[in-house]
Amino acid sequence: MDWAALRISLWLGAGTIAILLPLGVWFGRLLAVRDFRGKLLAEALVTVPLVLPPTVLGFYLLVTFGARSPIGQAFQALVGHPLPFSFQGLLLASAIANIPFVVQPIQRGFEAIPSDVRDAAACCGLTPWQQFLRIELPLAWPGVLTASILTFAHTLGEFGVVLMVGGNLPGQTRTLSVAIYDRMQAFDDRSAGVMAATLLAISVATLMTTTALSRRVSPSRG
Amino acid sequence: MADRPLFVALRQAGPIPLDVEFTCHSGEVLAIFGPSGSGKTTILRSVAGLYRPSHATIRSGADIWTDTDTGTFVPPYRRAVGLVFQEYALFPHLTAVRNVMTSLAHRPRVERREKGEALLNLVHLGGHLSRKPNELSGGERQRIALARALAREPAVLLLDEPFAAVDRSVRRRLQNEIDSLRRTLDMPLILVTHDFEDVVRLATHVLMLEHGRAVACGPISTLMSRPDLSWLREAVGLGSVFDATLTRMHPDRGLVELTFDGGTLLAPARQVAANAAVRVRIPAREIVLATSAPTGLSLHNVLPGVVTAVHADTAFEAVVVQLTVGGVVLLAEVTRDAVGRLGIDVGQRLHALIKSVSIELLASDANTAEGNR
Amino acid sequence: MSSGRLAALGATLDFHHGLLRLPDAAAQRRPTIAAAANLNFALTEIARQFERERGTRVDVVFGASGTLTRQIRDGAPFEMFLAADEEFPGQLTAAGLTRDAGAVYAIGRLVLFAPTDSRLVVDERLDGLSRLLQAGGVTRFAIANPDVAPYGRAAEATLRKRGLWDAIRSRLVLGDTIAQAAQFATTGNAVGGLIAYSLVKEPALADKGKYALIPQTDHPPLRQRMVLLKQATPIAEQFYAYMQGSAARTVLSTNGYEVPQ
Repeated sequence: MDWAALRISLWLGAGTIAILLPLGVWFGRLLAVRDFRGKLLAEALVTVPLVLPPTVLGFYLLVTFGARSPIGQAFQALVGHPLPFSFQGLLLASAIANIPFVVQPIQRGFEAIPSDVRDAAACCGLTPWQQFLRIELPLAWPGVLTASILTFAHTLGEFGVVLMVGGNLPGQTRTLSVAIYDRMQAFDDRSAGVMAATLLAISVATLMTTTALSRRVSPSRG
Repeated sequence: MADRPLFVALRQAGPIPLDVEFTCHSGEVLAIFGPSGSGKTTILRSVAGLYRPSHATIRSGADIWTDTDTGTFVPPYRRAVGLVFQEYALFPHLTAVRNVMTSLAHRPRVERREKGEALLNLVHLGGHLSRKPNELSGGERQRIALARALAREPAVLLLDEPFAAVDRSVRRRLQNEIDSLRRTLDMPLILVTHDFEDVVRLATHVLMLEHGRAVACGPISTLMSRPDLSWLREAVGLGSVFDATLTRMHPDRGLVELTFDGGTLLAPARQVAANAAVRVRIPAREIVLATSAPTGLSLHNVLPGVVTAVHADTAFEAVVVQLTVGGVVLLAEVTRDAVGRLGIDVGQRLHALIKSVSIELLASDANTAEGNR
Repeated sequence: MSSGRLAALGATLDFHHGLLRLPDAAAQRRPTIAAAANLNFALTEIARQFERERGTRVDVVFGASGTLTRQIRDGAPFEMFLAADEEFPGQLTAAGLTRDAGAVYAIGRLVLFAPTDSRLVVDERLDGLSRLLQAGGVTRFAIANPDVAPYGRAAEATLRKRGLWDAIRSRLVLGDTIAQAAQFATTGNAVGGLIAYSLVKEPALADKGKYALIPQTDHPPLRQRMVLLKQATPIAEQFYAYMQGSAARTVLSTNGYEVPQ
């Protein structure tokens, strides 16, 4: 059992959620509530990581942020090491790859709020911020929860992008899914099997938790 | 009680055409009436600040809420409006009392719970404080919405098709509740509806809307006595509407005496208290015209008056005769033949014959037994 | 599970395996060595011995030489690279990414391998393969991808030499490293394959089937060169020297490599 790999996978999942949730709430709500020029394009772009093969995503990330790109070199000058082959690079890649898993459920969550209810909140004297915190967010909560769980589970299973952008460095970018592949290449099926079972168990547990939680949240809605 | 009139002037060509201007004073009930799609709800939303027409001026007393000429716009959450939505728009995740308390943010925290409970008691929902909206009936939800709107301590109360989503039996009760409520409120009340019964029951003033344009605006009795509103005639049938006071009861005869600005009427006894203010409606078809006061007839009411208008519309068989009786205008539908035979013309003195059973009594006082609970 | 129990579980995991520690920032504490996949067993053993003797560890990442080369060019923080050929390290030297031209540390050998239950009869001239091919009995044959793995290039050269390349081409399954090719070959997903001698020398694989050593004249020599990269630290330098020492050379010989004099 590669504990370092498990650690990296869990932190990658948590980190991705931490980065994407605020962005997802902001953008998902925007897509749900506002109509603007280019909205169709924005929604399509959000979905792109879903349909792109992970290798394509990895390729473009390396080209855009790699050591040979202006952004990559700026990063290196700032931080002292290149963005790919680092945990930060993985976080960035994971965040981009998970955008559709975050934005879409949250968007649906906010869309489910009748526009009348939003208007009523304004007529009750609530400022836009109060409307958001006291009325919209509690009602959109199941969407936010779904987004978090989907992202976490998806991140645990990421392989293609992680391998291309991370480089399988032990202790840094070797996630559990990559470690399984690595052990198989070394003909160590036993280790691979243990880690695969662990990954499966975590995914199932996570999904069960969501279902239970969302059942608790839903009945309050009339 | 100070008057804080609401002044509204809206104009735009599209996407929703609008062309209205009206003022509603404190204590008045303005019914905005028209078919679906005529722009009624848009007007209401504009007053609340939820919709912004291209040209608009909206003032509440001395406060300017919208003025497109100067670019002034006060957002809805800073306007003192109480809006009861057609589908109530209650917050599903909050209990009844918490729904009402949402509007009480302008009050100190310690007062909010108490005030919320008091308002729910006012609308007779004191026993349902902790219920969620999905546990309550349509009529109960409407009352929470009303309480929530009132909690805002608004300068104007807006009701969007308040009775559209409830069934008949509940509707009557709610109408009476709102009517008794508005007499204690010191604010303009605007009511949007496509059902004329609501207008007749509750309104003091009416704005008739067609494709966003006001085709008629004024006090209800005046409007109701206009003979030329053919679409109104088609929609609800013509009839005079005016206010009267119950001055005498004749229990032995089973009758009550109503005094209005122009005379007295005898109507069948109802459960109305003495000196109660009532609204009277007499359908135009029920009035018979006579050149002289007849005797030996079963009917009780013979009112002398002067013909002030005769309106013949080729779309209808009957002719509408407008008869002014004292301070009240009555409408009578008669055949062309009758007009010819009696030589009915403007300025002529005629009598209106009204059967007491034809008089519709819309009791509007809180003292009616059928009004409460 | 109550929150108290959860906390206790978390504490245990953290204590034993540092699960709650943040992943290491890129500043490495141990040098990372990139190595061609054919060195899987040999280099793991050498690294173990190095740690025992010197008390310091190195991390090894195995992959195809071509893939590793690309990653190094993209800025991967490896300190040393043991390739399966001379060309890939040569690219890095030409790009100015290495200390120097490095050294040849081993010469590899190719074998024809067939798992126990396969119909393929192994021999160094590939006659058995030719016969099976003509009989239509070759469902799949495994080699490493010639584009990224030098052992794959050598396999292609061998097959061409024996005139089998055109016929067998459509039957090939390509592993992206020689280790993956070995997996295909040994797990019965192919009738056999051309894989690294060093991989079948391991007991784990040795009894999974039969193999025949391919003559070195059948393909360009698999001269394996290693280089220190510009960012190498002293520990990596020590390992570089260790690779050329007698202990390492012994391990390499045992694992089927020829060591240069």
